[in-house]
Amino acid sequence: MPLIPDGTRFTLPAEAAWRSSLRATLETVLHRWGYAAVQTPALEVFDALHPQADKSFKLVDRDGSVLALRGEYTVAIGNLVRSAYSPDDYPLRLSYSGALWVRTRDAELGRAREYTQVGAELLGVSTPLADAEIVTLALECLDAVGLPQAAVELGHPGFVRAVLSETGLEPGVIEGLRTAIHRKNGPELSALLESHRVTGEKRDAVMKLIDLYGSSDVLLEAEQYALNDAARAALEELRVVAALLPGERFLFDLGIARRLDYYTGVIFQAYTPDFGQPICGGGRYDGAPSPTLEPIPAAGFALGLERLMTALGGESPVLSAVDAIALDAATAKDLRQRGQRVIMAWTTDRATLERYAAQHGIARILGSLEVIA
Amino acid sequence: MKRRLTIAIPGGERSKAYPIELLRRAGLTIPDLSGSRSLKHDLEQVTLLEVKDADVPVYVDIGVADCGIVGKDWIMESGRDVYEPLDLGGPAYRLSLIRLRGATGRIERVASKYARIARGVIQSKGMAADVLPLNGKLELAVTVGLVDAILDVVQTGRTLEDNGLEETEVLHKLSMRLIVNRAALKLKVPTIRELIHRLEP
Repeated sequence: MPLIPDGTRFTLPAEAAWRSSLRATLETVLHRWGYAAVQTPALEVFDALHPQADKSFKLVDRDGSVLALRGEYTVAIGNLVRSAYSPDDYPLRLSYSGALWVRTRDAELGRAREYTQVGAELLGVSTPLADAEIVTLALECLDAVGLPQAAVELGHPGFVRAVLSETGLEPGVIEGLRTAIHRKNGPELSALLESHRVTGEKRDAVMKLIDLYGSSDVLLEAEQYALNDAARAALEELRVVAALLPGERFLFDLGIARRLDYYTGVIFQAYTPDFGQPICGGGRYDGAPSPTLEPIPAAGFALGLERLMTALGGESPVLSAVDAIALDAATAKDLRQRGQRVIMAWTTDRATLERYAAQHGIARILGSLEVIA
Repeated sequence: MKRRLTIAIPGGERSKAYPIELLRRAGLTIPDLSGSRSLKHDLEQVTLLEVKDADVPVYVDIGVADCGIVGKDWIMESGRDVYEPLDLGGPAYRLSLIRLRGATGRIERVASKYARIARGVIQSKGMAADVLPLNGKLELAVTVGLVDAILDVVQTGRTLEDNGLEETEVLHKLSMRLIVNRAALKLKVPTIRELIHRLEP
């Protein structure tokens, strides 16, 4: 039997200290932006319509109903808001920080099955200003932890949706097209379009989807391929939000087709040089996770803490040594009150204590053994 | 901003010949690597990694390599979420369902080195068959009755004929592909666009 399940790990002191300090840094940024920390249960009621339903760890409750381990926060925060707030309270700024579980993942570099997310949600409003606030906040979080060179890519899944709807093809065929677009697989996309007799400007627009990525020039280039109002609206939304963002370091991809499809508005992902996976992502989700629930307009982002640590170099800073070994309780209390980190003597054998202090870089042994002898 | 690329290719004298030829045609200077036991080559313009076919998509998806050149069969088998912008041609081959010549009975067991693809094929055809993952010499498995059919790549079909087998269905036409890591495509736009452009058949 393995000691711990695949894709989970023990965190030793140096890494645990680093992790809490990163988490504290992020939580401070969120706090200063007026986001209030909340918590949601790690055990959730399993819902087959949940966007992560296929990937979740499932458990059986005492009455036989199925539970799932929390696999993401957006839906959970939405439910928290449904339970405790009304539209009179909007806009709400909430933040979270905690563990998530993904059953289907392979344990690989930057991909644990149990991992930690820190993130924020701005709920109850759907405006470009709110979208821009979330992206700016995400950038500020990355700056705060020491990744100021992160590149942010913006997109809008509504653009692909709108262009594909122009073809008038059946949902099954559209799904095939989406997969090819998602993989920027030109040869396959072209073959599919040909076999379904999509021609002319509609064909050109669909083919162009896989090529509309890069600098803000693609927004201009995309205009001629926006064949309907929905496509034009998606472009316009992106343009307005981008104009509200600080700096020039933004990239665009108008061919985002599958992975982030449940988003309804502007989405983004942040990449850092020489690390092959996004370290942070988010966007606008104005829908409801299931038809029986009230939709809540919201934009949010999340940052994977372990992945962030890998991107930062993966090396925990060396844990600092304790300041002293105290030989009696009064000395220890006195030193601690003055802010020192003190461990108590666990033996009256002075030589053992001195050897331990030398091995662990502890500068001083203070107090009197007589008091405890 | 130009950044150096890391490219994963299938290792082994025979497998790496075509990818290297393609990269040379795209203008990269690659010295003669035959006989080299090194698996990582830091060359003038790029770093080349020699890995197993099946592992090329893994290196690219995780981002240890920015891009890779590998057969479509291994991309499908890996199920990895990578960009796949180019069909690079190369020796034509296909993925086929193969049986003993004249066999008509029900297929209950299929052997393949592509277990994932095999399960997908069985599912999409509504067949009720088990998959037996094997690593090679599949012809034997069907000849000795270990399985009723095999799913394998076929180039000329001569080995099949020699073993009294026939292709009952061609499932996919295959070729070499360029695959690209999702983050690399975005972060190294000019470098990768240029490579894609130069590799374009």
